[in-house]
Amino acid sequence: MTITREAVLAIIAEESRIPLEKLAPEATLIDLDIGSIDIASAVFEIEERFGVTIEPDAISRDFTLGQFVDHVMSLAPG
Amino acid sequence: MNRKVVVTGTGCVSGLGVGTAANWTRAVTGQGAIRPIERVIWQDEPDFTIRGMAAWIAPEMLAAAMPARDLRKLGLLDDFSRFALIAADEAVRMAGIDGHPALAERTAVVIGCGSNGNALVDAAFERLYARKTRRFHPQTIPASMISVPASHVAMMLGVHGPTLVLASACASSSHALGEAMRMVREGRVDVAIAGGTEACITLGAWFAWNSLGVLAPDTCRPFSTGRKGMVLGEGAAMLVLESEAHALARGATILGELAGYGATSDAGQMTAPDQRTVEAAIRLALADAGIGAETPALVSAHGTGTELNDACEAAALRAVYGDRMADNLVIATKSAHGHLIGASGALQFALGLRALAEGRAPPVLGHVAADPACAIPLALAPTPIAHDVLVANAFAFGGLNAVLVGRRY
Repeated sequence: MTITREAVLAIIAEESRIPLEKLAPEATLIDLDIGSIDIASAVFEIEERFGVTIEPDAISRDFTLGQFVDHVMSLAPG
Repeated sequence: MNRKVVVTGTGCVSGLGVGTAANWTRAVTGQGAIRPIERVIWQDEPDFTIRGMAAWIAPEMLAAAMPARDLRKLGLLDDFSRFALIAADEAVRMAGIDGHPALAERTAVVIGCGSNGNALVDAAFERLYARKTRRFHPQTIPASMISVPASHVAMMLGVHGPTLVLASACASSSHALGEAMRMVREGRVDVAIAGGTEACITLGAWFAWNSLGVLAPDTCRPFSTGRKGMVLGEGAAMLVLESEAHALARGATILGELAGYGATSDAGQMTAPDQRTVEAAIRLALADAGIGAETPALVSAHGTGTELNDACEAAALRAVYGDRMADNLVIATKSAHGHLIGASGALQFALGLRALAEGRAPPVLGHVAADPACAIPLALAPTPIAHDVLVANAFAFGGLNAVLVGRRY
């Protein structure tokens, strides 16, 4: 399955139970109150869906949402 | 301290519907929820379909019934948590205690569960054993552990008092209500949100129950000839228990009294009931309520519809009540809502207390003909009653018996 920014954001929204429209790319995960368990859950679903591997600790709560998505996109093949 | 404990709110969700009103109306009008179920898990594996009879909750009904509260911090939810949240939300709203300062510091949450978050455990083991992957959803443990419905209810309502799940299989929520009642009676708390929840209509639990050979292929026929076993249900029931003084002081509407609780253990066989300890639990509960066997009672039977259990329960009731048994009336609402395992006792107590208040007994469904081994007076049709006392039985695998006594207020 092809990785798209929209699909990654949708997974983060679902796993952190935050409405998609509230996920501003410039907000940090701390600002959005996305905790470590939410990050782990989103990482799990992203890996499942797209067959990528996200290293443990690759995503910090200091990241903005945009940086989180950028990191996932950087793992996309080709 | 020996305070009178009253019920000021109830919340129910089962195959009968969402809400106490829907559950009561369908039960008392004999519109049972036991119906065919077919849940295909894998299209290419038809033998692994959940197929048979059950009192199940439609997924779309569940989604629509979730409390309109911010549940985000609760994390991933298994159905057994969803059921508990729906029922607890209704119960505190009915009690008018939502947001009351007592909830934070002077309230307990005591919930009975027979098993854990079956769907999430199933999903994890399917990954392990079928897909041979060691990676599970990171919230598998916190969202499926047997204690999590109590945590979730406390988180939703801001309860900081003693909060726990109590497990005694099919008697779990009766034990939960009884122990919570004692906490209120003894003054450890002023309020308790107590009941049970269970979500066991999942692939793993379904075949485990089938393997035990206790599920009826047709329907649940408590105390009837031709009874072939129990029928699985799912859902939750929660009650708001409160000291009478606390309820009166805040002007709450009192729905009934939880007056007595008796609990015994067979310490015998795993699945066969023992009439002596069943009798003892009923006697203990009546004594705890200060009510004698000469007082006519509405009896909400455990009434699973299994051959041995029903005959044992009938014999125990006859032994406790003797000739006075004719003054009692027996209901068996598992014939309507199925067996909710850890949630059954609370749902049956809530419906029984409602029956006292309404002066109407819900009919025992699925009855074919009287079984001489179960000679007790059954409510075979919706029946006007004038009983003031409810005796609600719950007997579990492993020989764990809990009996609750309710009184009309």
